[in-house]
Amino acid sequence: MGKLDGKVAVITASTRSIGRAIAEKYVAEGAKVVISSRSADKGATALEEMGAGDNAHFIACDATQQGDVEGLIDATVDHYGTVDIAVLNAGGIMNAAPIAEMTDENWDHALSINLNHTFWGMRRALQHMQPKQSGRIIAISSVEGKLSKPTIGHYSSNKHAINGLVKVAAHENGTQGITVNAILPGLVLTDMFHETGPATVEAMQLEGGLDALASMFSAGSAIKRPNTVEEVAAVALMLARDEAKNITGCLFPCDGGTMPY
Amino acid sequence: MGELDGRVACITGGTRGIGRAIAEGFLAEGAKVVINGRTPSKGEATLADMNAGDNAHFIAGDVTQQSVCESLVDQTVEHFGRLDIMVNNAGGGGDPAMLADMTDDAWNFVMNWNLNHPFWCTRRALKYMIPQQSGRIINVSSMYGKMAIPGVPHYITTKHGLNGMTKAVAVEVGEMGITCNALCPGGIVTDVMEEQGPGAAAAIGMEFEEFLDMMAAPTAIKRLNEVEDVSLVATLLASDAGAGITGSLISIDGGTSPY
Repeated sequence: MGKLDGKVAVITASTRSIGRAIAEKYVAEGAKVVISSRSADKGATALEEMGAGDNAHFIACDATQQGDVEGLIDATVDHYGTVDIAVLNAGGIMNAAPIAEMTDENWDHALSINLNHTFWGMRRALQHMQPKQSGRIIAISSVEGKLSKPTIGHYSSNKHAINGLVKVAAHENGTQGITVNAILPGLVLTDMFHETGPATVEAMQLEGGLDALASMFSAGSAIKRPNTVEEVAAVALMLARDEAKNITGCLFPCDGGTMPY
Repeated sequence: MGELDGRVACITGGTRGIGRAIAEGFLAEGAKVVINGRTPSKGEATLADMNAGDNAHFIAGDVTQQSVCESLVDQTVEHFGRLDIMVNNAGGGGDPAMLADMTDDAWNFVMNWNLNHPFWCTRRALKYMIPQQSGRIINVSSMYGKMAIPGVPHYITTKHGLNGMTKAVAVEVGEMGITCNALCPGGIVTDVMEEQGPGAAAAIGMEFEEFLDMMAAPTAIKRLNEVEDVSLVATLLASDAGAGITGSLISIDGGTSPY
């Protein structure tokens, strides 16, 4: 008997890293999961690696596009008949720059992939969950939703905003059997970190490359190491369960003691 | 295969309420558990109810006393051979009064119950956890460790203090495989709440039911929390995957606390 038997989940940006670890955890606990990313190739590979048969399904989705994000939620319901759990995971630090030098384009891109994708996905998921008076919405936020570092003003403000959105949504839906929570991970060494990290290193003018970047982010933790995708997935499992019905509006930490509150 | 197979936990105030729910959650995941309480007959009754055979053990004692706390930890290790998880759960509101009218006795009692007992137990537990480079300290705090109402300043002070101790311990043991976290539940109708709640309510001119409504009103769920809510999070923290969570003050209050 799995902890999520019979549940249907949809997870944005889930062919790798945090989203993928959550998908695998959910499948292992008996859920059916829709995974997504922009790349159909990555999707096919992920499905094969997951080996979950009909319990996993891929739908292409560019999280910067409203139509894609809303379509992803709708297509999950079309495919599996319902949606119980929506994990809004897409996002990341791209195009780091001090605010005084940040371009409109890079600001807007961050806004789309981080905050707006979360809003679009949340709104659509709520529209499916409210009629059945049950559901779980989990936003993958970040320690940067409470802290601050130079050159990530776009990402940081997006994650602060996601925290606010989660709290409001929790209160609006609290008596409807729907919980809305955020998970705030510390640094996780994802593919995204390796892909966009070098540019962030440059923008921050750090000596020592990606290692220095990783150290800087995890130096503020008590555990002096990054968090892992499995650690985030364990929190995502707990919040998704029926037993978590009274946990809502929570900015749940998974950050090795980085945040002071 | 449980998440806590082979782990040994010690839970103060574990015969009822939140402590009992945490004990049951741990047992369900394969742990062995020592539960503590002041009353042997309550302890035996709880063991019988839990029906966990040799996996659960009761040790009587009043944790407002330092020697009891230290002995409780040592006896846990004697009985089960090790200690992996220390749950500092015992505690409560004490005699309510506005601070201006608070007696030394009332203040000091709550200091011992809510703040000193976790210090004494944690310090002793770390003597075992540090050499083994692994462990979990879980402090049962309260949403009143983050906010305040009138009439229970000793309770509020000690829960804020417990939150600070949580962070202090976390940064000291962060690289030793040991985590330390605080659970901050909202209002829950436990035996302690039923015993002390009416007094706390009266201190602010309320009936007990009104007092409970007062705690439910700012939640998103418009109802109180349950002991199982706390147990769910405690089990996550105690597990291997909980290694990445430390120094945290986790709100389990239906969305009441703003941070």
